[in-house]
Amino acid sequence: MAERQHKTFDVIVIGGGITGAGVARDCALRGLSVLLVEKYDLTNGASGRNHGLLHSGARYAVTDKESATECIQENMTLRKIARHCVEETEGLFITLPEDDLCYQKNFVEACTEAGIRAEIIDPKEAIRLEPAVNPTLIGAVKVPDASIDPFRLTAANMLDAKLHGADVLTYHEVTRLIIRNGSVEGVVMCNHKTGEICEAYAPLTINAAGIWGHLIAQMADLTVNMFPAKGALLVFGHRVNQMVINRCRKPANADILVPDDAVCVIGTTSDRVPFDEIDRLKVTPEEVDLLIREGEKLAPALATTRILRAYAGVRPLVAADNDPSGRNISRGIVLLDHETRDGLGGFITITGGKMMTYRLMAELATDLACKKLGVDKACETATKPLPGSEKTYRKRGLPTAVVAEEGRHGTLAPLIPNATDIDRAMVCECEEVTVGEMKYAVETLHATQLINMRRRTRVSMGTCQGTLCACRAAHVLCELAKTEAKQSQYELASVMAERWKGMRPVAWGDTLKEAQLMSVVYEGLCGLNQRAGKGKEIAQ
Amino acid sequence: MKFDTIIIGGGLSGMTCAAMLAKNGQKVALVTAGQSCLHFNSGSIELLGFQEGKVVERPFEGIAQLNEAHPYRKIKTEKLTVYAEEARTLLAEAGLKMKGNAEKNHFRLSPIGTTIPAWLTLEDLITLETTAELNGKKLLLANVEGFLDWPTAYLSDSLSAMGANVKTASFTTEALAFARKSPTEMRAINIAKYLDKAQNMADAAREINRLGKGFDLVLLPAVLGLAHDNIDLLRKAVEMPIECVATMPPSVPGIRIENKLRGFLGQHGAVVLNSDTVNNGFFEGDKLTAITTEKLEETRLEANQYVLATGSFLSGGLVSDYQTITEPALHLEVEAHESRTQWTSEYLFDEQPYMAFGVKTTDDFHPMKDGKTVTNLYAIGSVLSGNSGIKQATGTGVSMLTAIAVAHNILNQ
Repeated sequence: MAERQHKTFDVIVIGGGITGAGVARDCALRGLSVLLVEKYDLTNGASGRNHGLLHSGARYAVTDKESATECIQENMTLRKIARHCVEETEGLFITLPEDDLCYQKNFVEACTEAGIRAEIIDPKEAIRLEPAVNPTLIGAVKVPDASIDPFRLTAANMLDAKLHGADVLTYHEVTRLIIRNGSVEGVVMCNHKTGEICEAYAPLTINAAGIWGHLIAQMADLTVNMFPAKGALLVFGHRVNQMVINRCRKPANADILVPDDAVCVIGTTSDRVPFDEIDRLKVTPEEVDLLIREGEKLAPALATTRILRAYAGVRPLVAADNDPSGRNISRGIVLLDHETRDGLGGFITITGGKMMTYRLMAELATDLACKKLGVDKACETATKPLPGSEKTYRKRGLPTAVVAEEGRHGTLAPLIPNATDIDRAMVCECEEVTVGEMKYAVETLHATQLINMRRRTRVSMGTCQGTLCACRAAHVLCELAKTEAKQSQYELASVMAERWKGMRPVAWGDTLKEAQLMSVVYEGLCGLNQRAGKGKEIAQ
Repeated sequence: MKFDTIIIGGGLSGMTCAAMLAKNGQKVALVTAGQSCLHFNSGSIELLGFQEGKVVERPFEGIAQLNEAHPYRKIKTEKLTVYAEEARTLLAEAGLKMKGNAEKNHFRLSPIGTTIPAWLTLEDLITLETTAELNGKKLLLANVEGFLDWPTAYLSDSLSAMGANVKTASFTTEALAFARKSPTEMRAINIAKYLDKAQNMADAAREINRLGKGFDLVLLPAVLGLAHDNIDLLRKAVEMPIECVATMPPSVPGIRIENKLRGFLGQHGAVVLNSDTVNNGFFEGDKLTAITTEKLEETRLEANQYVLATGSFLSGGLVSDYQTITEPALHLEVEAHESRTQWTSEYLFDEQPYMAFGVKTTDDFHPMKDGKTVTNLYAIGSVLSGNSGIKQATGTGVSMLTAIAVAHNILNQ
């Protein structure tokens, strides 16, 4: 750490979500020296707690045309530059008997105006395309929705930033902005693993911390008018639907069902929460009830499908500066140059927006950064593929584990060690993660703790929620990352606690059964509770 | 078909009860859905390991302090010690050599190196009276190469903390090296199947001899003795002392307990209906008169007495849906909190209320249906309410002792 204490960069980017990773990549591609700093793990915030939906923009077409247009443009871009993160599922907007079919006409017109291909299809055709859809539907529109893996997308942006010289620090929380002569000149950080304090300097700091950006701005005594909007979602144990299913009505709660990998996700709710809750969100029974009730209307089979877990994220919504009440909240992109807005130099906030528009947000922020730093280099991120997406990469007839690796890492899959028996040994059978893939994640994807491994490889994300593989994965990682045994066991305990946190709101039926097995194995057989932290820590 | 007693459930509790009855001449049928929780067992049986988070040294003293609703408290104290001895005898008769005594707990070593109080432990597994006894010893952790379910770094760390001088090594044999070619083959049961063959065992012994020179004790993963007691063979072939340490599931020692008890039932003429589930019970007055199963829908199975030993949620003895908890085989009355939010606790390792949910019984373990006691039906083991088996380390003890208590009740009639 010592050598980093006085390290100087062109840009410090705060926040390891998709926006921060995207900004870091864009800055690095334009030749800036970058430090990306994240207080916990990459995608620990809203980036890892959403639908995984590659919006076509259709959802916003009627109510927010600007967002809709941005969405469809970015949708088309991401299909090219992030193809290994995208699954081209297509989407349906269905009208149910309780909905007003007249809305469909407005909807299609608005989509067309925004440049979104929206095709009305016969309800029977919709059932043929998507057998899981509610068969009582009276209308259907096909749109270019898709699913996208936000963990992979963020990791790929981070990886490309690193390949272009960026430094990345995870588990480093910015505790103070260093302000001198009316300008932000750097940040003070606390290393959450060691407790050490360190500093980094740059003429420009970009606040890309999502909802936590509000708190970062406060460190400079600035007010960004943010409204934390909690969205809760449920993960079902298998992939009921093959296409994204939306309700064709004014956007409301729980009206999107997205197929992601081997599961599907229903969401979301939208409720304002106080800032002191954003680090410890809980999904309430009422939210679970609502999500199930509405979800069943999209795909009746959900009524009898096991729910794996529940989770919630916080959207960083921003009200206009002249609207302190927050009545006119937009989901549009907000770029604040605090020099012109507040008279504080060296500091930019990029917020609002959506995961869908992260690349555009990064481009806007980096354009401003370049202008401030006097760098004249055009943005390439709309055309340059992310690492792993250089070309379509699918070899047929390979072992399923290799196919799974390619699905996760695209063209980078051949970098995964598989020459020896131990490399090929299976750690997680649900998601087919090998020792080799874990090695790769340790070496290239900033995975040093078990919780990181889940987000980089999907280990323990399947139906057993880690009961059968988490100890195996923790021990493999302990040896790969040379972690101390006690620390590794502590991490294992906090990861199991994290798995339970998501299972608890839906702990009945098979999920309660699975939870009891988890306790039988980890507490009964192993006595892992003896290695858990005294503070009932949950992995972040 | 008419039996003296029908046992519903083939886990540790059901098998124990069936074995006690069968060896005393009863005509017994046992209906079992399949794998039991023994597949996640440590190789030990526990009486009472923890109380309010603290290690219990003398289980019977701890049991006296349990609350009245606990299944142990429904058995008279003087009987408990007798039944504990009977349990040990039964295991021995089934061919399971166990060490330990009911008066004072010993410690078993868990797969991750923690020490957990236990009553009886399979003879080939390592146990400790105190954590000081390994102080200064030279230990070798000898793993099977490529076996990922035995975290040697964790074990080594724990054993070192106890003062042992620990080295880790791994070995393979021709057969095991071949098995590794399949990425998922290196699981405990599969390895045990290979090592059950004499040639493979001899190859393993040669490797262990080579690696273990100069060590006071060689510790192996518990992947031995699925089919027969080949740990004895290995001991003869290996020059230095060897002991096993439990692995992550599936549990070879647990499956051995299951196999031996099943074998004992067979020897004593118990009828075992495998892969079948009781789906209906016929009641008359205060009695259960017959049951049907999924496979024998048309045939009523009849007995004088019935025993429900279907386990907790994990085994399907209890089921929950969105808002209710029920006992699915006979729809007996269940003790559980009303509201779903009260079933669980926020933190995984806190006391989880649902663990103690179960079938409500009288002090004689008779369950209730529609407000009435069913006088020829008993409930035993993890399906009973009032026992937090994991938190207190009581699960297997409650399974065996309630089974034996009920067996006596039935035999005394």
